[in-house]
Amino acid sequence: MRRKILTPAFLLLLLSMLSSLAAGQDAVKLDSNSFGAIEARHIGPAITSGRIAALDGVASNPRILYVGSAGGGVWKTTNAGTTFKPVFDKYTQSIGAVTVDQAHPETVWVGTGESWTRNSVSVGTGVYKTTDGGENWKPVGLENSERIGRIIVDPKNSDVVYVAATGHLWDSNDERGVYKTTDGGKTWQRVLFVDKDTGCADLGIDPQDSNIVYAAMWQFRRKPYFFTSGGPGSGFYKSTDAGKTWRKMAKGLPDGELGRIAIGVAPSRPSVVYATVEAKKNGVYRSDDLGENWTKVSGSPSATGRPFYFSRLVIDPKEYNRIYKTDFSIGLSTDGGASFTQRGGRAHGDFHAIWINPNDTSEVYVGTDGGVYVSNDKAGAFRFLGNLPVGQFYHVSFDMERPYNVYGGLQDNGSWMGPSSKPGGIQNKDWRNVGFGDGFHVWPDPLDKDIVYSEFQGGQIIRFHKALGEAKWVKPLPKQGEAKYRFNWNTALQLSPTNPRVMYIGAQFLFKTTNRGESWERISPDLTTNDPEKQKQEESGGLSLDNSSAENHCTIVAISESPLDEKTVWAGTDDGNLQVTRDGGKNWTNVVANITGLPKNTWCTSIEASRFDRATAYATFDGHQTGDMKVYIYKTADYGKTWKSLATDAIKGYAHVIREDRVNRDLLFAGTEFGLFLSLDGGAAWAQFTGNVPPVAVRDIAIHPRENDLILATHGRGILIIDDITPLRQLTQKVLESTATILESRPSVIATPGGSQEFPGDADFVGQNPNQAATITYYLKDRHVFGDLKLEVYNAEGKLMATLPAGKRRGINRATWFMRQKPPKVPPSPNLAGPSLFGPMVPEGTYTVKLIKDKETFTGQIKVIADPASPHPAADRALQTQTVWKLYQLQERLAFVDDVLTGARDQARDRAKKAEGDPLAKEMESFADKLDSLHKTLVATKEGQVTGEEQLRERIVELYGWATQYGGRPSQSIIDRIPLLEKEIDAAIVASEGITGKDLAGLNSKLTGKKLDAITLLTRAEWDKKQQEK
Amino acid sequence: MTKNLIAICFIVGVALCAVAAGQTVDELLQKNLAARGGLDKVRATKSIRMTAKVHTDNIEIAASVQIKRTGMARIDAEFQGMKIVQAYDGEVAWQINAPEGKTEPEKMSGDDEKDVREMGDIDGPLVDYKAKGNAVELVGKEDLEATPVYKLKVTEKNGAVRYFYLDCKSYLELKVSSKRKVEGKDVTADEYFGDYKSVGGLMMPHSIESRVDGHVDNQIVIEKIELDVDIDDGIFKMPKKPEAKPAKGA
Repeated sequence: MRRKILTPAFLLLLLSMLSSLAAGQDAVKLDSNSFGAIEARHIGPAITSGRIAALDGVASNPRILYVGSAGGGVWKTTNAGTTFKPVFDKYTQSIGAVTVDQAHPETVWVGTGESWTRNSVSVGTGVYKTTDGGENWKPVGLENSERIGRIIVDPKNSDVVYVAATGHLWDSNDERGVYKTTDGGKTWQRVLFVDKDTGCADLGIDPQDSNIVYAAMWQFRRKPYFFTSGGPGSGFYKSTDAGKTWRKMAKGLPDGELGRIAIGVAPSRPSVVYATVEAKKNGVYRSDDLGENWTKVSGSPSATGRPFYFSRLVIDPKEYNRIYKTDFSIGLSTDGGASFTQRGGRAHGDFHAIWINPNDTSEVYVGTDGGVYVSNDKAGAFRFLGNLPVGQFYHVSFDMERPYNVYGGLQDNGSWMGPSSKPGGIQNKDWRNVGFGDGFHVWPDPLDKDIVYSEFQGGQIIRFHKALGEAKWVKPLPKQGEAKYRFNWNTALQLSPTNPRVMYIGAQFLFKTTNRGESWERISPDLTTNDPEKQKQEESGGLSLDNSSAENHCTIVAISESPLDEKTVWAGTDDGNLQVTRDGGKNWTNVVANITGLPKNTWCTSIEASRFDRATAYATFDGHQTGDMKVYIYKTADYGKTWKSLATDAIKGYAHVIREDRVNRDLLFAGTEFGLFLSLDGGAAWAQFTGNVPPVAVRDIAIHPRENDLILATHGRGILIIDDITPLRQLTQKVLESTATILESRPSVIATPGGSQEFPGDADFVGQNPNQAATITYYLKDRHVFGDLKLEVYNAEGKLMATLPAGKRRGINRATWFMRQKPPKVPPSPNLAGPSLFGPMVPEGTYTVKLIKDKETFTGQIKVIADPASPHPAADRALQTQTVWKLYQLQERLAFVDDVLTGARDQARDRAKKAEGDPLAKEMESFADKLDSLHKTLVATKEGQVTGEEQLRERIVELYGWATQYGGRPSQSIIDRIPLLEKEIDAAIVASEGITGKDLAGLNSKLTGKKLDAITLLTRAEWDKKQQEK
Repeated sequence: MTKNLIAICFIVGVALCAVAAGQTVDELLQKNLAARGGLDKVRATKSIRMTAKVHTDNIEIAASVQIKRTGMARIDAEFQGMKIVQAYDGEVAWQINAPEGKTEPEKMSGDDEKDVREMGDIDGPLVDYKAKGNAVELVGKEDLEATPVYKLKVTEKNGAVRYFYLDCKSYLELKVSSKRKVEGKDVTADEYFGDYKSVGGLMMPHSIESRVDGHVDNQIVIEKIELDVDIDDGIFKMPKKPEAKPAKGA
């Protein structure tokens, strides 16, 4: 009964009533879906790739490999590395462990939170599992472990899994040690725990007797200014009852406190177990009796370097004496650990992960600070896989070229610049290296296109000359009587927004240069706490001394000059000071104490002086390096006297950066460890931006003033660009509550055509280009389901230019219009007329857009402008348009003539068939043949892919292609040629009319005599009408 | 091209879904069917003819689709006067693709053939799914671009899996998702359905957006749908000689 009542019309009515009722109840709140179809594009680069923390392959199909990156999620290849896809984009991007269940290779375990505990390391949110090869993942626990060093699946029982929970880096915690599940991850038991400061770094299992499990326990701690590896908690443990009980093994292992240990069980002879042990003296140890007794076999620096960062031991699956140890290079031993040689050749240094194909042990994949490499000769020579865009940028900037370039520095991969768009996509080869080491801030000189300032760790700054490739070191140096300058790992280097000649750099003092770094003026006293306890980086590292400048502290790490007042400059320090001067550096005030709720000494990660009000500034702070994961975002409107917190529960992840929009002062952007967040109301409410932005660390944000693009420096997915944020500026509460609203977009550019011929295959990453079409942006309060939803574009005269399909999702939708007129009609031929697939560009101007939503219409406008980068004067462009239209008309005229000819020909052949046996049939055939002969001079008719045949159609189409593919004045040859082509068409018409005029009347009267239909000829008016109907 | 146009046919198949087993799935499919116009109406439909515009790569292509209840289907499109035909007569899937130089009819193979065969199944995988050896499972409720939907997993006898997303408000299909091979590469193919309008009492989508790995590949706007038109069986059969004329509606 009920079903009968629910007719579609009734249902429709009911639904619309329900939805309008619902709409009346609550105000529409901003959420991630409000941004709808606005998406970031990923431009890479993959030329540097980024740090890889873990690798695992599928033994039964070694073309399948999973790559766990330090900050860019999990990537999967099914073709031995030719192409990769990210398969973990909804989840935490920092990966510590990836393990394939070899008995069920569709099941893969991922431990989030990298365990290579460098200063910039991210955090995890537990263990995840897929049972369908990475399509779907489920979190299965240990969400407070922060980092996972290793996951091992019992080779004899897939439900039994061991997890090395390395645990918190910056504070004590309970959720660390060895965890075990016996039910495939439903429940976990902590089977080995030492103390709250000691976690598990590595695990091993005996492949023959899986009751035997080995664990490397590691005590470690990092502070913002110090790192300690080693302590009484560390040790090598063994269980012979599948984790129920454990013994700390000591026989033959070093005395005293231990640090990080790596474990390698030889698959081909599991009684042989190797370990690299961090101790007073680091060494390689070997046991030949299942880990009971140990012998130091080597102390080679090739196998024992930097244990906190390099501690993976992989034993060749077939040769138990062949050992691969990750290190600065690969430490390779072929004699059971007695000696090591360095491998890795021209691959990026700093190795973290190795996977050897067990079926063909010549094939060795390695993960480094610079991506994945593969060797096919047992780690002899390596091929780089240029398709993993997991670079870890610290900062980003841009220039004003067309298209603009982006600049930024990456973890261990130097500084780079690359174009924001390129015909065919942004390829690895389009990027250019402009600085070395670990890269951070990079600034193109606003006054000299050849000059780029870039820095590397510890405040090393170079002025790089692009054309020459020459670098000049311009770091400030202490003057007579001055203290040593302290520069952070990630030193603040900032261009002035008011004066293109001014640049700032932060040590403990703030410096300013006006002569391109030739000399620096000190404009502040020590702005830090200058706490001597936090300046002991020379002693940092624990058992293995590690002073790379990563622990340099009591330094300035954030600088912002007011865009409204060059004398107001803000400086934030890593030890929690926030200082401001209003007189260009003469006097400074530390205003951090005015911030309530901010723990003392919390690292200031960014400051943004407002461009709308000189007393207003925003600041972010980050306490994660003391274990404080809270979000700290503040705003002052009185030069720092009072502060208001802008942090809400909607923001996830500790805060790196805040940016104020350049146009709408209420539009704010925040980058945190877990993504990008937007506020439309000055920071009262926030929502995560999820349009193709995974929950990756967003370290820096820039807004391009001309293109209105939002440019993100991610620490794990390279550079992301959200094209044209103009619509976001209009997303007010009123718009959010409207049924539909057309939002203004930036003017659409008639791009200068471009292209290139190359065939790079599929193996290299190609960064996405911005859409070249005009973008029409509109907001829908609810998903559109019933009735039409389409867009119509009208020119100034009210002529309908295009009808476009329109997206239906809730939130912002973006439709594209190619800005072209209808393509010309060309006579049919066995070969495609490629250039004629597209019509001429529409003229510049303002176009009216109508969004037709069932019975309602919403109206807006878009602007189409000439390419500002075009070198062609308006007169030349006009001539181009005129020429294109002439060639367009020629094609249509030809199409008409040919249609007349072939139409008459086909009628004649039809009548011939009908008059079969009658002499008229022959006359008809002969008439048809005459027409066909003429047709064959107008259109290429030979079939085949390479006929080379060129008739009038082909000659016109070729010129149409030439003229449309160039944005300026067509060549004189083309211009001169057009009248000749016109004459050819005239001649064809004459010839056609000659045939029909001479023969048709007679033939038609004969046809009528035979009671057959006369042959009719199409008029141009009729033909035009037919085209319109198509 | 094949895949794009299959979407048109496919949703028609979906429109003809029948009652399923399992209480929740059963309820959902009943509501879906009611929203579409009811089982009787659906069953009574003998043939469907549609004309559509396919927007892809900034090109607009006119196309027509004809489906006849005994499991036959045909797509016609024209491109600079060059013909594209893809058809299935219940036994043979064949095509003409003049822009690719295939001016004479030839049998289709591999995934292409599979696609056209699927298109021939006018009822889609849900109708009589048990008899067909298919399984339908309610995965759960989730958000489809902020619209609450029911997610149904349909596993066909041959192992092929498709996910159907039904609007929680209207019970109409908003999306169908599957894995496909495109030029030998594994991709996720999503079809989003919208612009539902009643045609002779059947609620049918008039808009299909196809996304490949999340990127819009093409958009189809269905301009006209006719039900129960007479269609000659002959147009679905592979001609022996090159076709002389495009089929009606081309």
